[in-house]
Amino acid sequence: MDNSTTYIGEHLWIGYIGNAFIYLSLLSALLSAIGYYFNSKEVLTSEWKNFARINFSIHSFSIVGIASTLFFMLFNHFYEYSYVWQHSNNSMPMEYILSCFWEGQEGSFLLWAFWNTVLGNILRKTIDEKWEAPTMAVFALVQVFLASMLLGIFIGDYKLGTNPFILLRENPEFANLPFVQMPNYLSKLDGRGLNPLLMNYWMTIHPPTLFLGFSSTLVPFAFAIAGLWKKDFTTWQKPALVWTFFSIMILGTGILMGGAWAYEALSFGGFWAWDPVENSSLVPWLVMVGAGHVMIINKNRGGSLFMTHLMAISSFLLVLYSTFLTRSGILGNSSVHAFTDLGMQAQLVIYVLTFVLICVVLLIHDKLIRVSYLMVSFLMLFWGIIHGHKIILLLFWLGISLIITIYSYIKFFPKEEEEEKLYSREFWMFVGSLVFLLSAMVITYFTSIPVLNKLFNLEKAPIKIGDYNRWMIPFTIISLMLIAITQYFKYKKTNPKQFLKHISVSGLAAIIFGLSAVIPLYFLKDYSTANNGVKWDLISYALLFISALFAVFCNLDYWMRMLKGNIRHAGASIAHIGFALILLGALISTSKKQTISQNTSQKNVASLGENFNAKKSLVLTIGDTLPMGNYLVTYTGKERKGIDVFFNMEYFSKNKDGKLSKAFSLNPMVQDNPRMGQASNPDTKHFIGSDIYTHITYADLSDTKTIKADAYKEPTNFIGHMRDTIFADNAIILIDSITTNLTEEQYSKNDSLLIVTAVLKATDINGNIYRATPQYIVKNNMVLPDEFELKELGLKFIFWKINPNEGSIEIQMSEKVSNTKEFVVLEAYMFPFINVLWLGCIIMVIGTIVAILERRRLNRLKTH
Amino acid sequence: MKKIHILGIIVIAVAIGVIFTSLQSSASYSDFSEASANPDTEYHVVGKLNKTAPVLYDPKINADECSFMMFDNKGIEKKVILHKSVPQDFEKSEQIVLIGKMQGEEFHADEILMKCPSKYNDGKPQV
Repeated sequence: MDNSTTYIGEHLWIGYIGNAFIYLSLLSALLSAIGYYFNSKEVLTSEWKNFARINFSIHSFSIVGIASTLFFMLFNHFYEYSYVWQHSNNSMPMEYILSCFWEGQEGSFLLWAFWNTVLGNILRKTIDEKWEAPTMAVFALVQVFLASMLLGIFIGDYKLGTNPFILLRENPEFANLPFVQMPNYLSKLDGRGLNPLLMNYWMTIHPPTLFLGFSSTLVPFAFAIAGLWKKDFTTWQKPALVWTFFSIMILGTGILMGGAWAYEALSFGGFWAWDPVENSSLVPWLVMVGAGHVMIINKNRGGSLFMTHLMAISSFLLVLYSTFLTRSGILGNSSVHAFTDLGMQAQLVIYVLTFVLICVVLLIHDKLIRVSYLMVSFLMLFWGIIHGHKIILLLFWLGISLIITIYSYIKFFPKEEEEEKLYSREFWMFVGSLVFLLSAMVITYFTSIPVLNKLFNLEKAPIKIGDYNRWMIPFTIISLMLIAITQYFKYKKTNPKQFLKHISVSGLAAIIFGLSAVIPLYFLKDYSTANNGVKWDLISYALLFISALFAVFCNLDYWMRMLKGNIRHAGASIAHIGFALILLGALISTSKKQTISQNTSQKNVASLGENFNAKKSLVLTIGDTLPMGNYLVTYTGKERKGIDVFFNMEYFSKNKDGKLSKAFSLNPMVQDNPRMGQASNPDTKHFIGSDIYTHITYADLSDTKTIKADAYKEPTNFIGHMRDTIFADNAIILIDSITTNLTEEQYSKNDSLLIVTAVLKATDINGNIYRATPQYIVKNNMVLPDEFELKELGLKFIFWKINPNEGSIEIQMSEKVSNTKEFVVLEAYMFPFINVLWLGCIIMVIGTIVAILERRRLNRLKTH
Repeated sequence: MKKIHILGIIVIAVAIGVIFTSLQSSASYSDFSEASANPDTEYHVVGKLNKTAPVLYDPKINADECSFMMFDNKGIEKKVILHKSVPQDFEKSEQIVLIGKMQGEEFHADEILMKCPSKYNDGKPQV
């Protein structure tokens, strides 16, 4: 690069401001962590505390400063900055400026860091004095790591973080492009722009909710770490409980929004695809739900100390792990929406491992073991950096850490004297939390297959959606049963007879309603024809259905009879009803998802297996009306709006008297996206009982009106034998017979003129048959071109070659442009009762909010 | 024995079960020759589309079938029948992963994953 070039119109000062904020945020987070560390060690208490607090405020201010700087740049289209150029452009509507902000990795790290400072400040203001130093030390340390992700400086050859304020001309990707040599490059430059796929309101609301959810897992983590650190395993749990339920609520909402986005706007054909990115936000949520429940046990009865720490800590560590999965590029082909690799793999691994190390170190009470563990860890790190063998060292280190964790648990951790009774609430709640933890581990294991491949040099392929479902259904059934019955147990001891009496009504209702629904749903038609694997699936669906109903009825009953309909105490019951409804809705809408677009092709490929015979694509020619489910559907045309091409589908239904009337129309869209290629967006008609989902899988996006209708298209060559068929757009053509004017004998004698006539029979859509007789003419050993035009059908044939050895002939056919009517290929599904799922989401969130408010009220009552 | 120990044993048993069955049953990334050797087993074959050969898709005959030629990672070329409509921007794909089984000389796939070069990072600043 020519250093002497003076570029015109660059706003370098704002980049300096942004970078100053980054350095300031890193430094102040570090100082704050140090301050809180010494404060927590009870050295010069008040001085260190003030120092730490001031630094955390400076840190919060500089995070806001970084964000504001980036906004200012995006708002003013400063394309000299790489991030602005990559994620925005001149034509972009301003309402998407937020989306641009967090489209890239740097922006989303910044969003995460921002939420952490918001929660950190709220925590600091509301927390008990005793816990401020240790929890805030954890917060500040996490912020050190997050701020370092934004640095983008080189340490030797290694780049630490990616900087959002890097200049476009300094971006190594573009370093050799001609614009770098032009001093006035900015005057004509427009940004690459936000990915049009992401220009919708989901992109505005989903990432901030999800990242707030990720941030919120930090609070219970910080409390649990503080508990280990101060060797006070119980008193942190009460203040942490509200935060844990806040995290469950927000993270849950974020995940469900992702599902709704996938269902509404992406062409997954469903709301959940077990994509690694989805899984990696679900897993921390499952663990957080487990953590919340063991914390309730601890609050009411004490005990379960190890599990509360393990789960509160794991949830955050799993957020870190999922950050690693989705941002390191390790998922490669197995995910549709992982971020691209920005070369931060090592940094992300170190980030995750550091926090694992901290947890293990705090577990060890013996000074000698602690110091040796730290020494060994650092030695292994340096060995890995200098000599390699990183994977073996990593596995070895993880093994050591696991052994030390188990050893410390046995040796140092306080354990309950008394065993929980079988007929006690705490026992079954504990089992439930364990089921959640275990299911989270199973999902993590399957999601980590690309990581395992790398660690152990395997070639395993990721598992399919159906396999995930099959694995998760047993866990789901067990958790629903536990959700149903556990509230009816009392803490410590329950009278078994009374318990059975209480749950019997709901149990009976669930079995009666359940069986009367499941039998027609799964057993009347499908079961007898199914193979063994599918039979098991159907049985598991039935069990899931009944246990979901059982959970709903039990919790409703508990709320009405035990709590006498009081809403304040009913948070748990309401949330449980919501959770059960989500699963019920997911079960019905997925298992009874009906393909209403039917492929009429005769070809049967069932021998290959069931997946191969999914005839789900329907060809719909413009103007034609075809049956689809209970409807008749017509494709009436397409309309282009910018890069979006909308296809208009009219749905008709039959009245009682057999007349057709228009029911509704859908406009599925294909985005002709210059950056991403074509992307199909479905359109869905929502009814109370079911959804009709339509999505285009194949269509011609070009404007067909501009081509002259009278012209013929390019000819296509067909090699055919006798009685073969050729498919034209408007007819099926049979090679009926071949005649010649000469016998073989005559031909060998007479070489003047040979005429071979192919007799073709073309049958059009209405069944009319036309004859075409293209001729192969040889005169004096020369083939004379001859064209046969079948005017009635707009077809031209040239019979131009005979292959005597193969016994085949070759014919070129060309069709009139107007013969080809525009058509689309579409898939359409009916999702029954999917609204039960969305209703369940809302109820679960409401239930969790009720529980949070009640907890807060109780906490206040006790302190006053 | 305490109940907690029974729970612990169940947890460990499930964990071992999951790992064991997944190692047994889940498909591996592979190539055409291995798929030919075991025609009834499902494989994930990674490879590249032969862009010089035509991609045949005629929705009028069968909207759920398209065929093309693909090189696997060892460079072996086979005809592929994909039992789906042709993926959008198929010709632009850089790498494809097919899920399916070999039957005779043809690979029959029911699922396809594509990696396009343009997916998240393309476009260069032009003045």
